[in-house]
Amino acid sequence: MTDVKMAQNLADQLGEISPSSAVSLQMSVDNYLEVLRGMIDLFANRRGMDTVYVTATISFEAIKRILQALDIDTSKIYFVDCISHIMMGASASQLDEHTTLVESPTMLENLMLKVEYLLRRSQAKEKLVIIDSINSLAIHNNNWILSEFLHILVSGLRAKEAYSIILSVEEHSTPELNNIVNLVCDQGLRASGKEV
Amino acid sequence: MPQRTGERERCVTGIDGLDTILYGGIPRANTILLTGSCGTGKTSLALEFLIHGAVKGESSLFISVTENSEKLLANIIPYLFFDKSLIKSGRLVFIDLPVMYERLGMTKAELDMEEIDLLVAAIASLAKELGTRRLVVDSITSVCYKLRTSEKIRDFILKLSKALSDLDCTSILVSEVAAGATSYSMFGVEEAISDGIVLMANMERRGDLLRTLQVIKMRGTMHSRAKYVLDLTPVGVLLVPLLKGGSIV
Repeated sequence: MTDVKMAQNLADQLGEISPSSAVSLQMSVDNYLEVLRGMIDLFANRRGMDTVYVTATISFEAIKRILQALDIDTSKIYFVDCISHIMMGASASQLDEHTTLVESPTMLENLMLKVEYLLRRSQAKEKLVIIDSINSLAIHNNNWILSEFLHILVSGLRAKEAYSIILSVEEHSTPELNNIVNLVCDQGLRASGKEV
Repeated sequence: MPQRTGERERCVTGIDGLDTILYGGIPRANTILLTGSCGTGKTSLALEFLIHGAVKGESSLFISVTENSEKLLANIIPYLFFDKSLIKSGRLVFIDLPVMYERLGMTKAELDMEEIDLLVAAIASLAKELGTRRLVVDSITSVCYKLRTSEKIRDFILKLSKALSDLDCTSILVSEVAAGATSYSMFGVEEAISDGIVLMANMERRGDLLRTLQVIKMRGTMHSRAKYVLDLTPVGVLLVPLLKGGSIV
């Protein structure tokens, strides 16, 4: 499958789900760019959604650069960055109304609060929340608290009729982690070199 | 939230999470102790309570004891729902208690019983004149320092609560406690005679400092007694449940 087709295929599958749904999206590291294009450009942006992008893997700046390199519009993306602060990599001058920092990926309650804040400010009819990724959050949190976090977060997002996508990297996933994600998700999608 | 038969009328705080915790809001005319150590968000929460009231058309009064109200307003969170016209229209009024002390001739370091009555009467008279439905005293601890004895503190708070309750005014008394304190108030009296206690705290967990809120007691309503984590944002105080998996300090 070509990269473009993979991204479109993913967007088509996401387009079939209803609001309030939670999707587990397992991907290969090699497919990160296609996943970004499929989720944000071909799914969320085309439907005029506001996207809240929670990043615990790489900084919001790095993701922004990737999106810009892919020529993807970032004007409707709001970042909750859980990693820049602990990497001592964020400065006030880099922040704007599209970016909120959480001091540490261990502050899961604050992460939920920032998502809540951004959703409340959003004027868009449809909203998407992306968690990138469960594997990165698992580095800093034990499975017990992670499971509790996902349950509360996803339940809250459902009540707000927001779409949620939880990314996991198949190379780094464990059966326990997959179980935690599957427990709260309605649907599982896979984006790898072979198929979506 | 629909009221159940026999339940007391609510003062909807406008703080979503708190109203949920309180099953609809603070029972109208209750006097609440909002207590916590410094930096926990007490003043911000109390202010938000008043602003929501003023936005709804309820006359709201902030009695500032520790901080000059101009300075307070300069440092207010840029709430999206706050409009300075609320102050201009008189729906949101700020009074500095030291100015009131001066006008009442209360220049001594310690107030006597007669002066306590005078102070309560002055606050009640002002609240009546303004038609106040929501009132905040920030902080009651600073007032208590001028009362000194438990008897006088008890007398003052009981009389003030009664006077405000008679006016159908829902009140928040902000109380300061030292970090890590085991009681809910500095003098140990305030907590016993208030209708409700809302505890705000800084909780350290694996090096992270979380702001928390917990309703300890609230007369006239059922309420959650769980601990919540809060954030002070331009859309107001937001609350989420404290994750129990991380409760090992």
